[in-house]
Amino acid sequence: MSSERFRLLLRDLAAAAAFAAMAISGQVPLWTVGLFVLALAVAMTGRRPLADGRLSAVALLLAVIVLYAAVMVEQLDLVVAACITASLLTAQRMLSLPTGRTTDQVQLASLLMIAGGAVLSADLLFALCLFTYAVLAVLSQGLSVVAVSGPGPFPSTARVLRPLAAGLAIAMAGALAFFVLFPRLSWNVAARRGGASLGGGTTGFADGLRLGGSGLLKSNPRVVFRARIDPDPGTEDLDAYWVGRRFDTFDGVQWSSRGRPGSPVRQVSLGPVESDLVRQEIDLLPAYGSRTLVALDTPVVLGDAESHQATFSVRTELIPSGDREVRLIGPSEHVTYRAFSALDRGSSRQADAGERARRLQLPKNLDGRIPALAGTLSEGAVGDRAIARQLERALQAGYAYTLELPGRVKDPLADFLFDRRAGHCEDFATALAVLLRAKQIPARVVVGFHGGERAAGEYLVRAGDAHAWVEAEVDGHTLRLDATPPQHRSAAGTGLTGWLLARWEALQIRWLDRVVEYSFSDQNRLAQRFRWSTSATPDRPTSRTPSASAAVALGVLGIAFLIAALVGRRAAAGDAAELGRSLQRLLRRRGRLGPGGWLDGAPVDEAELLPVREGIARYREARFGRRPLGPGEARRLMRQARQALRGMPSPSPARPERPTSRA
Amino acid sequence: MSRRTERLLRGWRRFWRPPRRLRTTPAGRTYLVLCFGVGLGALNTGNNLLYLVLGLQLSIVVASGILSERCLRRVEVRRLLPAAPRARSPFHLAWLLRLPKGQSFALSVAEVHPVLGTAVGHLAWLPSGEEVTVRAVATAPRRGPLHLGAVRISTTFPFGLFVKSRDVDIEGDLLVLPGRVPPPPEPPAPSSGLGLEQRSLRGLDGGGDLAQLRELRDGEDARRIHWRKSAQLGTLLRVERDAQPQPRIVLHLDDRAPSEALDGRCEELAARAELLLARGAEVGLESTAGISVKPGAGAFHSHAILRALARAGHPGDGG
Repeated sequence: MSSERFRLLLRDLAAAAAFAAMAISGQVPLWTVGLFVLALAVAMTGRRPLADGRLSAVALLLAVIVLYAAVMVEQLDLVVAACITASLLTAQRMLSLPTGRTTDQVQLASLLMIAGGAVLSADLLFALCLFTYAVLAVLSQGLSVVAVSGPGPFPSTARVLRPLAAGLAIAMAGALAFFVLFPRLSWNVAARRGGASLGGGTTGFADGLRLGGSGLLKSNPRVVFRARIDPDPGTEDLDAYWVGRRFDTFDGVQWSSRGRPGSPVRQVSLGPVESDLVRQEIDLLPAYGSRTLVALDTPVVLGDAESHQATFSVRTELIPSGDREVRLIGPSEHVTYRAFSALDRGSSRQADAGERARRLQLPKNLDGRIPALAGTLSEGAVGDRAIARQLERALQAGYAYTLELPGRVKDPLADFLFDRRAGHCEDFATALAVLLRAKQIPARVVVGFHGGERAAGEYLVRAGDAHAWVEAEVDGHTLRLDATPPQHRSAAGTGLTGWLLARWEALQIRWLDRVVEYSFSDQNRLAQRFRWSTSATPDRPTSRTPSASAAVALGVLGIAFLIAALVGRRAAAGDAAELGRSLQRLLRRRGRLGPGGWLDGAPVDEAELLPVREGIARYREARFGRRPLGPGEARRLMRQARQALRGMPSPSPARPERPTSRA
Repeated sequence: MSRRTERLLRGWRRFWRPPRRLRTTPAGRTYLVLCFGVGLGALNTGNNLLYLVLGLQLSIVVASGILSERCLRRVEVRRLLPAAPRARSPFHLAWLLRLPKGQSFALSVAEVHPVLGTAVGHLAWLPSGEEVTVRAVATAPRRGPLHLGAVRISTTFPFGLFVKSRDVDIEGDLLVLPGRVPPPPEPPAPSSGLGLEQRSLRGLDGGGDLAQLRELRDGEDARRIHWRKSAQLGTLLRVERDAQPQPRIVLHLDDRAPSEALDGRCEELAARAELLLARGAEVGLESTAGISVKPGAGAFHSHAILRALARAGHPGDGG
């Protein structure tokens, strides 16, 4: 590949990374993605169909007018419009004649896209895109500057890449230092939070649960919330149910629930508060995309919700709604709240007559085979609890789990129970609830999440952990029943994919904590960690002792200094003076330095020591004869000299001549 | 102002001059506007990712400064001036660049001079230890001596956002000879300031056969001495040939005229002198301000006359 082609390839890939930084937000329209990908593909083949550029410039201008007209009529967000403009401009410039000016324009438009991405997305993928863009843009721009700077001879690409890599390292370190140290003082005039990223909100909570939907959610690996549990269960994979919503009315196709929303309150109590409650600090991430709060089964208290904006956090109120459902008062991208749950303790709250009636209600058009099936499956069981457990086991054993559903059918429950005999958690939960009702046991369907993966002391719950199960009223208590086969209750990702996803999510959390949510108070904390603490003791009124962090910082500085010294020494390896010093050290160790410690007159006359003589001669030429050392030549000469001297005895010290005979 | 005072003034200005000059390119200006925009966005919104992007942008400016400094710091430069540049005719300015250590990229070299500064030589790569000649085509609009004080080495490496320049002080003088014009068709009258004066046709100094030897008189051209016979006889003898003698012409210049008119006269005289010399005449030059070039022939003499004409009207620049 020619250096010109390589340079343009780097430029186009940098633009692609910048576009990706924007596109991962999921807010860029698909037609823009399609156009950009097409332009990128054409540019990477080396074709420049817009070499003339006039017509395309006019088309671009028209597109921009249309875009901003859409902004004026509030059909398009201003930032998204700016991002689309930048991507169209980049695509048009990529397909133009590749001059130095065009390259500059592509880079600048790409920078606009990166800035747009920073506004639209808060995902860890943005960091990856930003890093890739920075690397590729720096390298391609440097190569471009050299290529258009004048007549040859042109250096090889590797020669230019070396200083550019140094520049890149400086830029990265500088960016990090700036990010950490620049005071976070914001005017908050136009604060805007990153969205839910690619795919939008994914929990799938809705006012109803309709059978026959696809099971795509089950394979979605995105983390939708994370929770810190106290006392810490300590297990890697949490076998727990997170309750979201309950549905008690079934019309044969869809579940729904009744209940009017209550007044907004800071804290919602759902049951008696006792001493052995499990405390959870739950962080709903932007991908959660729902107002329904979740908590470990059985939730007792939910409260202290805070909605996190770009630069500040604000307390938000909660609304009790429906059947023990708790909702946020308004939509929010990022909310934290506390919940207290009573584990392994069914609710003892007695349902009133109306609730009980709803939980026993069967659809009017219920397939006549279902009550018979309920009888068959519960045959031999005595008592409501035994019947419920037997039905649960029968469904687990007799029906298969699948996410490949045929789509909408007239009677999805009958289709599941008698035709396909396979379905996902919603089918299992619905079937169990209806079979229980057929046996006159009050039951309802609960939707929420099952499971949780441990990462950094917290539990991460993915969109794929979404689950549905059943609560039955048995002997005055609520009994949780889950007919879904146990291996299919949590997210589908397992094995290497699951491990990689877990690592990625752990990184994502660190990214959110340490970068996206980095604030002035974090800067204060950081400054305090590096403060020299002053303590007064009786014998030493004021003694200044460095904190451990300061010691670590000094240590890091020391190591950096050492590395710099080593790198500097390596860089000086091509220097003639350095070669002379190295030869001098080597010969001194071997006792072969010349008179006065000089290389001149060094006793290296043996035939085996020709490489040493060559090294000395070459040093003189390079130092005084203006014939510089080539790349790596000093190292080669030193290596040869070392090999030649290996095993050679030190010369005996010269003795004054003595008369050999006497007169 | 004397040269010494000028030198002192230059030294004073140099003391206050920044060691490097920095100029933004069009791309650099747009980049800075973008930096400003992103910074404003970061401050307005408090978006940390915008702070991160801004940090990267500003660090790239810093990295650009460090890498460009590495390119310029150790470059050694020597000026190679053209021998006979003519006014209004393009000529080559050349500089010899050398870098003892490291390597430099995207260099451009120019004189720090209001007239010649527009001629810029470019070099993509200066490897370590090699001497590389950089050339640029320059044109001087007028004749006369030009004092060159420094050579400016610039680079746009690494990102093309800024042009960083370093001025290397190298004193030098370039004498621009009068421009080329067609010689006037007829020699003007001797009385005019532009004229020529056929001062002498004496002597049989042509290029024909030997006519006689005779003693050399005072004031006669020593080049006509027959050295062997003079040595034999112990007295200086000169050769006389029987061919027609070449004319000996002294051109006269009135250099008290205003400078632009003087330029025109000098160019015409230069053209005439070159024509006459090409025809074999001995040509000399005298001016009202005291310039005097004895009549002579040949390329070297032609150059002497042109140099004298180039200096006419510039008394402070020496001869």
